[in-house]
Amino acid sequence: MASRYVGQKIKRTEDPRLIKGIGHYVDDIKLPDTLHCVILHSIYAHARINSIDTEAAAALPGVVAIYTGADIKDKIGNVPVASALETLKVPPHPVLAVDKVRYVGEPVAAVVANDKYIARDALDLIVVDYDPLDAVVDPEKTAAGEGPLIHEQFSDNIAVTWKLEGGSSIDDAFKNADRIVKQRLVNQRLAPIAMEPRGVLARYLPGENELTLWSSTQIPHLMRTQVALMIGLPENRLRVITPEVGGGFGSKLNVYGEEALCSFISMQLHRPVKWIETRRENIQNTIHGRGQIGNMEVAVKNDGTLLGLKYKVIADLGAYHQLLTPAIPTLTGLMLSGAYKIPAILMELTGVFTNKVATDAYRGAGRPEATFIVERIVDVVAQELNLDPVDVRRRNFPKPNEFPFATATGLFYDSGNYDAALDKALEMVDYKELRTQQKKARDEGKLIGIGVSSYVEICALGPSAAMPAGGWESATVRVEPTGKVTVLTGTSPHGQGQETSFAQIVADSLGVDLNDVLVIHGDTSIVQYGIGTFGSRATAVGGTAVVMAMDKVVTKAKKIAAHLLQAGDAEISFDNGKFCCVTRAPEKAAAEGVGGAVVQSPAAALPEPNPGKTVSIQEVALAAHLANNLPPDTEPGLSATHFFEPKNFTFPFGTHICVVEVDKETGEIEILRYVAVDDCGKVINPLLVHGQVHGGIVQGLGQALYEEVVYDETGQLITGTLMDYAVPKAHQMPRMELDRTETPTDVNPLGIKGVGEAGTIGATPCIVNAVVDALSQFGVRDIEMPLKPEKLWRLMNQN
Amino acid sequence: MIPASFDYHRPTSIEETLSLLSKFGDDAKILSGGHSLVPAMKLRLAQPGVIIDIGKVPGMSEIRQDGDAIVIGALVTHYQVESSDLVKRLCPLLAQTAEQIGDVQVRNRGTIGGSLAHSDPAADYPAAMLALGAEITAVGPKGKRTIKADDFFVDMLTTALEPNEILTEIRVPATGSNKVAYLKVPQSASGFAIVGVAVNLTTNGNSDCKSARIGITGLSARAFRANGVESGLAGKALDAPTIKSASSKAADGQDPLSDIHASGDYRAHLARVYTQRAIEQALS
Amino acid sequence: MKIDGTHTINAPRDIVYRLMTDPVVLARCIPGCEKLEPAGENSYTTNLKVGVGTIKGNYTGKVTLDDVQPPAHYKMLVEGKGNTGFVKGSGIIDLEASGNTETLVKYEGDVQVGGTIASVGQRMLQGAAKMMASQFFTAINAEAEAAAKAEANQEPVKPPSHGFFRTTLRWLAGLIKGWFGRRSESQ
Repeated sequence: MASRYVGQKIKRTEDPRLIKGIGHYVDDIKLPDTLHCVILHSIYAHARINSIDTEAAAALPGVVAIYTGADIKDKIGNVPVASALETLKVPPHPVLAVDKVRYVGEPVAAVVANDKYIARDALDLIVVDYDPLDAVVDPEKTAAGEGPLIHEQFSDNIAVTWKLEGGSSIDDAFKNADRIVKQRLVNQRLAPIAMEPRGVLARYLPGENELTLWSSTQIPHLMRTQVALMIGLPENRLRVITPEVGGGFGSKLNVYGEEALCSFISMQLHRPVKWIETRRENIQNTIHGRGQIGNMEVAVKNDGTLLGLKYKVIADLGAYHQLLTPAIPTLTGLMLSGAYKIPAILMELTGVFTNKVATDAYRGAGRPEATFIVERIVDVVAQELNLDPVDVRRRNFPKPNEFPFATATGLFYDSGNYDAALDKALEMVDYKELRTQQKKARDEGKLIGIGVSSYVEICALGPSAAMPAGGWESATVRVEPTGKVTVLTGTSPHGQGQETSFAQIVADSLGVDLNDVLVIHGDTSIVQYGIGTFGSRATAVGGTAVVMAMDKVVTKAKKIAAHLLQAGDAEISFDNGKFCCVTRAPEKAAAEGVGGAVVQSPAAALPEPNPGKTVSIQEVALAAHLANNLPPDTEPGLSATHFFEPKNFTFPFGTHICVVEVDKETGEIEILRYVAVDDCGKVINPLLVHGQVHGGIVQGLGQALYEEVVYDETGQLITGTLMDYAVPKAHQMPRMELDRTETPTDVNPLGIKGVGEAGTIGATPCIVNAVVDALSQFGVRDIEMPLKPEKLWRLMNQN
Repeated sequence: MIPASFDYHRPTSIEETLSLLSKFGDDAKILSGGHSLVPAMKLRLAQPGVIIDIGKVPGMSEIRQDGDAIVIGALVTHYQVESSDLVKRLCPLLAQTAEQIGDVQVRNRGTIGGSLAHSDPAADYPAAMLALGAEITAVGPKGKRTIKADDFFVDMLTTALEPNEILTEIRVPATGSNKVAYLKVPQSASGFAIVGVAVNLTTNGNSDCKSARIGITGLSARAFRANGVESGLAGKALDAPTIKSASSKAADGQDPLSDIHASGDYRAHLARVYTQRAIEQALS
Repeated sequence: MKIDGTHTINAPRDIVYRLMTDPVVLARCIPGCEKLEPAGENSYTTNLKVGVGTIKGNYTGKVTLDDVQPPAHYKMLVEGKGNTGFVKGSGIIDLEASGNTETLVKYEGDVQVGGTIASVGQRMLQGAAKMMASQFFTAINAEAEAAAKAEANQEPVKPPSHGFFRTTLRWLAGLIKGWFGRRSESQ
């Protein structure tokens, strides 16, 4: 395979239309006669609904319909949750609240009007009579049994308890330890804040009994299945289209109520219905991420060897389950071994209901939490034992010859060379010299900190056996009569750039121009069923499906080419878009030369081949469609579909190092250097990989320094706009120095691991470790995120 | 994020603006750059029945020199101030302040008149206005009047402007050889000042302070002159102990605001530290 | 959100207490109060038009006085609902005589705000609450001074007019300036 494109820095073919602003997001799709839906949200965290008076609102000219929970509760099914946890309490999650509201922002009523202004005006005319109840806000108090019941049918607010115990005896590990190191560690609630909020446009055509749903989602096919079930429409009557999707970060890996609601309303009113989420709604109603309060205990030897790890964690799940809510902390459990050989691991999870919006998958989804606590505790161990944190890491790394490496949590790390990534990062910063400089700076009264984080993450989700709704991915590769290539992928790119990277793979393999390959995704009526884009899976799993489908196409094309070239299949080579008849293999020629036509080779039936004669993939495609000169028993057309089921996850890894300076007087933090060495296996497009790592680091840094969803003690959301929820901005970012190591995986033929979440996973602990290091002279062991300057100032002045 | 309906007027003269204001009274709001008003309207926290867009009123979009002062029209954007050679030359403190406001989009649209009339407790300009001893011109039915910056900022979101007046221009004395600086600690989400300190020192050479004007924003409900700091500097040699001891009075007499981004204690501490740093920067 | 403060009112405690529990006076002094009508013992329905600068909200609700111990103590509960959310406040008010002509009013309260204001206005809330408390006590002070003067002269009380918000604010600004001016001069 010639590598004209794969491995090259190819600019995204998606970008021109996005940069020019001529792409189409849901709100850019205008259908005649569209009705606009707006939603009334609860202003209470916890309250009984006595009555909802919609009379005045309904009387407003231009208002077409108003729906409350009572109107739709028997007509639209509950918002779904996919979880296999046996003891999980699953409360009904209605699309519009019935009788009770359980978080600020919970949808209470929907107004449908001729335009969105009228609809919004009507909201102000709806009078809801609430009986406020005490709110359950603090997850720890909730786990301890405090607070009123959020769901009265259950005996308490504990949604799930779950235990993961693996490896050797945890008790022995703690008995044999030289020392036990404990630390409370908190992953605060974060809001994903995709650039484009969610949006829905539903159009029901009664004559055809056909519903088309445009939705800003990461999972069009899963959405189709779930919405069909929620509204009782046969799945094949429902078409989900994802036009441009302006980011998701996991927040659109979900099935929310609005899709079913707008679909239902369109079916009732026989007009298109549009709902576009506002930024306020996005922060208060779209899922949050993280939200774990944990206590970490590790058993260590004095040389820093890790013997065992116990993690007791309370997960703040929110008032209802969304699609993956309870699954996220279990993923944290699986990843508790981090980049280390830890013989015994125990995790005890208590997931609690609180009067807040649900937590669910946010970039990294359980792994950033795991990496954060593991990488933090390694630093705390180093601090307690007075060891270099790099040495503690290195001592516990599995070595390259130990792969596949089995963790105590039951995973098999596919491949890795953790020392290599660490060494490269250390070399980039000149670690030894850096420590010397740090000491010098400290002597001058400057607070310099160095933070290291060596992460492993779990990607390419994943084998179906380990996934709630299928872990495979699909692709169709079709060579059109003119030789243009169409790829239909079951993944649903929304910023990752697979229109480019898949085209690179296909263009190289088929020897066609990059611009002759079109990658189509996100339309369930065009694309075969697929799973979607999340969990750094699209290229590793979806790209592999493309490769497999393409192999089928090439096999068939070869057969046709052989026919056209009057050669045997085995005598056809394919390179750079040309099928070529090669000279017969010498042994075959020799065998024939002996004269005995004992073995009837397929070519033998044909006339003498023409060595060196070629036919192009385009010519083959045309022949396949003209179908007047095909080999016997060959179907016309040149297209193949493959559903790829991966055998394992992949486990990318890397080391991030940063250097910070803390202002002694004010606690303000400046990042002086940020170095990231990531290993995501083979790379298809370094530009895309860099883009993913950059964006990932930005979000990881956001968690470390700025971001925090704050609810007050009555459950009011305090960080309700971007004036208070601190999404990191370009000017707050350090220059990032990126490099890679490349350890291929054998999980897929491309040798790629996935990189969508690596930056986020590596960055957060790296920055916190650096800041804690800077403050170590004040006896600081940990600082709760976000690392606001005021907290640092208080720590430096507490004595 | 969907505002309530309103009537829209776009007067083309100050007289027409005033007559619209007197006609609609309390129900009307003046729209300039719209970067404070429009977000409040989209959240329906403000629901004015009438918007009077003064964007097309002539004569308020320029920066000009008038003797020893710069006169800045109310409609001048932050970007205009930040990039004006005249401002940079005659009143660098103002350019320094403007370039630290919000982000590029805000600076391209937001106007100096709008910012001052809105009087956000954490806005940047008020500190500079106080430090510079600016004068604000308001025009109302009774004609034109001048309000000293010291008298202009009354309380949170409240100024000395009468409801039937509009702010037309700001007169800022040129600072000549004065030592000036504006330093701020931006709130990480909004970019507003947790604390912002504007310093304007008249010195003999580099060492002796003849007079000092220090404006501080973000700390409390309105921007204020840090009188204690000023009197601690005026008439003294500007050595390190003097600067430090004067700066320690930066938050005196104030009732600092607390929010999720910074407590009152920390804001007061920042006011002291950043006052000292702003003075040092002004002198450097 | 916790709020507390102390204000000195230039009138004897009996008068201040009477005024601060008189619905007619309260209606004049609570910022933005458009109506305060009796609805049972020590309970009133109210319309409040509360606002700071551009930001305005209309609330309808209830004001209740509780634990009434003249002339030293009472508890005040305010509940309001409006389009932008709700406000719920409770405060304990203690009056101490300070000589024969002044009263020290101490208040300690808890204000809950819900809805849009809570979600978008957190940085302004505390300032707005303080501002409204100041407006209230400034108005009470004016009422009390007028009442004390009338009592001393044995005249009928002429209630002062509170031109909310601007008159009060300008007056308040003058006071604040005066205080701080004095303070900084004395330092």
